[in-house]
Amino acid sequence: MALKTLLDSYTWRLLGFTVYQAFLSAIISVSLALPFALFFSHYSFFGRKAILTMCDTAFALPSILAVLGFVVWYGNNGILNSILISLGLVEKPIKFLFSFPSVILAHVYLNFPVALSLLTSALSNMDEKEEMASRTLGKGRLKTFFSTTLPKIRGTLLSSFLLIFLFCFPSFLIVMSLGGSPKYYTIEAEIYRRTYTDVNTVSSSSLALFSFCIMALLILFTGYGREEKRSSRARRAIRKTKGLKSLEAFILSLLILLFILPPILSILYRAFFTKDGSFTLKAWNDIISKAPTGAGTGLSAIINSIVIALTSSLTAVSLSSAIAISSVRRKSRIVPLLTSLPMAAGSVSLGLGFSFLASSIRGKTLLLSYILVMLAHLVTVMPFAIRTMMPGAKRIPLRLEYASMSLGKSQYYTYRKIDRPMLSPYRRRAFAFAFALSMGEVNATMALAEGKVTTLPILIYKMINQYNYQGASALALLLLILAITVFSIGEREEKNAIS
Amino acid sequence: MPYLSVKEVTKKYQEFNMSLSFEAEKGELVCILGPSGGGKSTLLSLLSGIENPDSGDITIDGNSITRLPIHQRGIGMVFQDFSLFPSMNTGENIEYGMRIKSRKERKEKAKELLSLVGLPGYEKRKVTELSGGEAQRVALARAIASEPQILLLDEPLSALDAPLRKKLRGAIRAIHDATGTTMLYVTHDREEAFAIADRILIMKDGRNVAYGTPEDLYRNPPDLFTAFFTGEGTALPCTLLYGEGKEGYIFFRPESVTVSEEMLDGGLYPNHLVMNNVEVRSAEYTGPGYVLGLWFKGLPIIAFSPLKPKKRYISLMIMVDALIKVQS
Repeated sequence: MALKTLLDSYTWRLLGFTVYQAFLSAIISVSLALPFALFFSHYSFFGRKAILTMCDTAFALPSILAVLGFVVWYGNNGILNSILISLGLVEKPIKFLFSFPSVILAHVYLNFPVALSLLTSALSNMDEKEEMASRTLGKGRLKTFFSTTLPKIRGTLLSSFLLIFLFCFPSFLIVMSLGGSPKYYTIEAEIYRRTYTDVNTVSSSSLALFSFCIMALLILFTGYGREEKRSSRARRAIRKTKGLKSLEAFILSLLILLFILPPILSILYRAFFTKDGSFTLKAWNDIISKAPTGAGTGLSAIINSIVIALTSSLTAVSLSSAIAISSVRRKSRIVPLLTSLPMAAGSVSLGLGFSFLASSIRGKTLLLSYILVMLAHLVTVMPFAIRTMMPGAKRIPLRLEYASMSLGKSQYYTYRKIDRPMLSPYRRRAFAFAFALSMGEVNATMALAEGKVTTLPILIYKMINQYNYQGASALALLLLILAITVFSIGEREEKNAIS
Repeated sequence: MPYLSVKEVTKKYQEFNMSLSFEAEKGELVCILGPSGGGKSTLLSLLSGIENPDSGDITIDGNSITRLPIHQRGIGMVFQDFSLFPSMNTGENIEYGMRIKSRKERKEKAKELLSLVGLPGYEKRKVTELSGGEAQRVALARAIASEPQILLLDEPLSALDAPLRKKLRGAIRAIHDATGTTMLYVTHDREEAFAIADRILIMKDGRNVAYGTPEDLYRNPPDLFTAFFTGEGTALPCTLLYGEGKEGYIFFRPESVTVSEEMLDGGLYPNHLVMNNVEVRSAEYTGPGYVLGLWFKGLPIIAFSPLKPKKRYISLMIMVDALIKVQS
């Protein structure tokens, strides 16, 4: 039967669509970001740093916030439509959501900042000697771009593309919430449907296995776990904008802000205002008092989320720093690759795996559910924690460890006293990253706990489905503040330089 | 019985084979000198335990340390790049390897050591803010604080600039004399080795080429490699001087040569080697005199002369005692 699932033409169509939407999302994100990145890496202007910081933080933006932001901003009764109607620009609301383009736009919304941030930092780290040489040899701007700049950034373009592709391939939440039709189901969404709607675990498991194999192949072939080449130290000089260029900078910045901010601001607005525009704190009262879905109050969801995020990210940090140090010491390539494999398993599949595990354990308690959710989150965030930690581990000179050991200290003592303190900026960053990811995790939690453990994003998801946008917005605002605060703590400049 | 004994230690790499024996006495300062790729770093790795030898034995005070892990060998290290722990301040770096339990005594000891290396009052300094010379002094204090049986210094001065190098090598010798620590000091700088070593081990291609006091190596090098590696000089084939059938080379230092602008009659100088019709090709002023680049029967000769020769062709004589017979 499992084999039958795989040979099914429907499975191949599903795969085709999954690849198609991921490809489209990635190519649009990267090609939109490229012209912006070229400008951002050349010129300095008012607001440049703020926008780049905002884009960095987008790494931590939970996708449930994009979903909610889209519903509140682009929805049929959304704020954008209200504005357009009140301005008399349209008569009937534009129906945009719950369509294929809205899925793609949501993916681009989440990944355009990522691409912009990656490309800008890569471009800023390249000097312009070749470009200068090309120009002095009499080539024009365009010719120079295609003959020297493009080949130089090809690697970065490709790796950004792959990163986004791998992110969108197992897209679940956005497809389920904004796709509006099973026509636009990805493999991951179909796995969920088969498990909980069809209750056909054999076909869903085989599909999960199939998806895992394809993702694993993609990761192995593209060497996603491989480290990037270190760029040359000479950074390019960034010029201040003048005159027309300043105007260009202003327009480009405005375009980015107009794309990124409205959905988030809509959430902020809807957390305090009713649809008719009158101020209210009802949603905030409900967080403490009312159990909106019978799944516990908002407050308990907040506590759940924080406890789970704390335990899973703290565990991830201590595991990943030990793994990073030992794999760098042993020059192992397998360990980092192995730890990036969980990325191959979509988080729904992961949750599913854990729920099968749970069903084989007798005497299920609530505590067990919590532990399983925690473990699922741990596995989800581990690859990111390790990727954050590896460069730090590589920067610790082996001689420091020899120095410590020649002073009579054991390897473990050396790890505790020398390596770990030197990793601390990376540990902090990994913690913040893991915490933000865990805070926003929906897929595995949903697939695993079926409402037994309600985290903040799960509750938001449920409220969206009940059209309680105001309650959802209030919680989403809290989630946003929590995730962004912790994430930006991690992005602080590091202190300990290496002598 | 020697304090440190390296007995037929071998280590095979793809393009390099090490096979080495030597000994050092307690409290000695031995310099390990040789060209890069000669096996100096490999020797340090084997002694410190970073690498294990394929065969052979290393003993300290009669106890084999060959198979012990790094931290149980009692071998301290000072690295070229200082390798101070950036997460600790200067005092904490020095206290790190101390065996003393009492916190107060450790602080005292750190203070003492900082004075010894010429940095009194530096306890609270951040190690990232130390200059290169200061950092290396701290590294030295840190290594000595753990009371190693032997201290290895791996080109400790190569990251510093020339005037500082001279100053610090004097300090290292002084610290050696004050503490009596047995030291193995790796360098590729002949002058440095001559300045501070009790004995010098010359390594080439993973082998012990020569081992002796600096004076001994300079005056009686066992082979041409050592002769040239320990200073300037001239090697002339014996056939040129003593006729056909004589093997090997005659080696002499520039300062052993006496220059004369008159033709010399060999018969009048029985204890000397005399050469006439030597062409002067260059004369470099060095302060005390001139280093002459000479040409004799198609071979170059280097000689030292307090005066600059006026003639193009001059004569040389060298005391027979100063001639060193070496095999190639």
